[in-house]
This record gives sequence, C-alpha cells and structure tokens, in this order.
Amino acid sequence: MGAAAAPPGEVSPTRCRIVDAAYACIARDGIGAATVEGIAREAGVARATVYRTFPGGRDELVSAAVTQAVIDFFAGLRTDIGEVDDVATLLERGLVAARRRLDRHAVLQRALHDEADQIVPRLATVMPSVVDLLRADLAERLARERLRPGVDVAEAADLLARLSLSLIGSPGRWDMDDPDSVRRLVRERLLAGVLDA
Amino acid sequence: MSHPVPAPAATVHRPLDAVAGRWSAAFLEADDAERHLVEAALRCIARWGVRKTSLDDIAHEAGVSRATAYRVFPGGKERLVEVVVRHEAGRAFHAVEDELRATDTLGELMATGITAVLRLAADHPVLGAVVEHEPELVLPHFAFHQLDGVLALAEGLCRPHLGRFLPADDVAPAADLLGRVVLTYAFRPTTWVDADDPASVRRLVDTYLLPSVSTSPTPATPTPAQERFPP
Repeated sequence: MGAAAAPPGEVSPTRCRIVDAAYACIARDGIGAATVEGIAREAGVARATVYRTFPGGRDELVSAAVTQAVIDFFAGLRTDIGEVDDVATLLERGLVAARRRLDRHAVLQRALHDEADQIVPRLATVMPSVVDLLRADLAERLARERLRPGVDVAEAADLLARLSLSLIGSPGRWDMDDPDSVRRLVRERLLAGVLDA
Repeated sequence: MSHPVPAPAATVHRPLDAVAGRWSAAFLEADDAERHLVEAALRCIARWGVRKTSLDDIAHEAGVSRATAYRVFPGGKERLVEVVVRHEAGRAFHAVEDELRATDTLGELMATGITAVLRLAADHPVLGAVVEHEPELVLPHFAFHQLDGVLALAEGLCRPHLGRFLPADDVAPAADLLGRVVLTYAFRPTTWVDADDPASVRRLVDTYLLPSVSTSPTPATPTPAQERFPP
C-alpha cells in the first residue's frame, strides 16, 4: 500500500497543455472523434510534438486525459468535503458530494451514455490507484478511531474504499440526495462492523 | 442522471420477480434450448472472442435455426454478454443451491454464497478471458448505472436465501451490499479475502458484513427451505 499513483511521466508545461487539449477535444466531440491532429491543433503545437510527448499516440492521449479528469475529480471532491476528522462524517460528505459532482459532470455523463465501451475500461485502469489512495487515507483515519474488537485497520480501509467507490459510481437503491438516508447508510451499514458504537 | 439512459439490463425482457424465480429453483427445468445455446455461445466465445462471434455462429454451433437463436437472444448480439453472465451466475448459484439451503446461520449462508461467486470469477474459463481481452464489452455492464442490472440479478439470486434469516425489509439492502462486495473482490482480488481459504471468507463475513446486513437485532425465524423451493 501507499504506492500512490505517480504523476504519469514528467509534468512539463507542454505535456499539460496537450492533456488539457485532449480533454477539450473529448469534451467537445467525444472520445471516438478525438484525433492526434485535432488535439495538436487545439493545443497549438505540432503533431510531432504530440507524438514526442505521447509516443503511444491517440490511445495514450485519451488515457492521459481520462486520468487527469479523475485526478481533478477527486481533488475537487476533497475541496467539497473540507476538513473532517471522523470517518463517518468523511464518508457521509464524500458520498453526497461525489454523487453531486458525478451527476453534474457533463463530459463523463455523455461518455457513459454514448461511449461506455471506451470510457469504462479506461476508468477501470485508473481505479486501482484511486482505491490505493482512498484506502491509505481511510487507514490513517481509522487508526485514530475506536474500532470494534477484531477489526483490522487495513482490511476495514480496503473494504470501505471499495464500497464507497462502488456507491459513488452506482448509487442504485441508496438515495444519495437525502442526508438522512446517507447518514443511515454510512453509520448503520458501512461502518456497522468497523466502528465501536 | 439528467439525460435518457438505457433501461437497466435486468428489466429488459423479464420482470425482476421472474428473474428471481428463474435463477433459483426453476433453473434446471428452465428452457433447455436456452441452456444449449448459451453453452454453444460460450464455446464460440472461447474460440473467437465476443466481438467475432455472431448469432449465426452460435446457432450453427448449437445446431439450431437462426430463428431459435434470436428467440433466446432477443436483444441479439448486443445482449449476448449480459445473457451469458446472467446464465453463468445463475448456474454458479444453482450448483451450490443445496449447500446454501443447508446453511443454518446467516453467516454460513453468506460465506457459502460469496465463495461460490468468487470461485466462478476466478475459475470460469471463458468469462475471465473476455474480461481480459475484451474489457470494453464486459466492464460497462458492471459500472455506473448499468450495475443496477447486475445488482438486481444479485438480489433475485439472494432473496430466497437471505429471506430465511432477514426481515423482508432488510433483504434488498443486504443483497445490494453483498453484491457490491462480491463484485469488487471478484474483479480485483485481494489477499485477505481468498475463496480457497474458508477462514478468510468467514472473517470478512463475521467481522464486517454481518453487522452491516442485519440492522434489526432479532433475526427472522428461519423458514423451512422446502416452503420456498417447491420440488
């Protein structure tokens, strides 16, 4: 654990500009329509520069843009949540805020609707890093809580990280708009086996 | 979601209750033609992958007419993965049906069910290869709004069993959480939950899941299994 996702490659200004341009192209035209040429034009750089920075071409560009979008999403989420000490409040605020952010994420929503086959596998490759980060954060916080007898911090953090991400992506039967229902989900379900009441 | 999205998979051609019945007790008497075709489909997929398998190939492999193939796969190629996953999950559950029915406690029941699905995911000769080589055809079924269909399937499969131990209102939330737990460890295995190590599964169940699924202090009186599974 603790192997946080390293930033993909060096973060040069050119690289950033190209990734931003790739994201802009995807946001405008969809993943399927994104081309190296279009992205180079959008970034205002030569095609050769794009290929030098992203030898994998289109595929690597799209993956980099998706990764960047995920990083931005969770950075924004952290701001939404603010400073929190206890795990229960963190999860409650996190689930509500994440759901709201996902619903409003027009680019993701359109991709899920029109190009799920392209976006979902790419997100799936980023998710292990997200789980790692979330798990490390939860483990640190759980270590400061009163846990039920027999609970292992690493196990609990792993389970909670996975369940949270599942619930953020697919709330299913759980109403994430109703604070009371989220409260019960977090306290009576997710943390029922973890925290000492 | 703010835009129209496709209907969740499970509701497409069968109401949920029908799915529940279909995938538990009724499974064996179910449509032989359908099982025959799904098995043919699995052989084709093993050979060529999903993308290169057509309904014609499947009909040919199964030795049936195109019309029959389209009757069993009404959504055509588009729904092939879904039908196959549904079938294999139902089959995995059916294979342990007697074991599930023989369990005396909720913990034992959950451990048995979780182990069965994790084994299916780890050992299935075809599904594993499809996830690896054609993830774009499988993963969307298990993510975002499409997960609702899979969770509905999980609920249908779990309902008769969980209903022996949980009050009616607790069954659906319990099935939902169990479905999510099983899926995450099936797709991304971990060392601390290992289907081949019964103690590790029991630990997951007893320490973390039991308190989450049974929120009411008194469990429902177990119903005799026979009542729920007519012979």
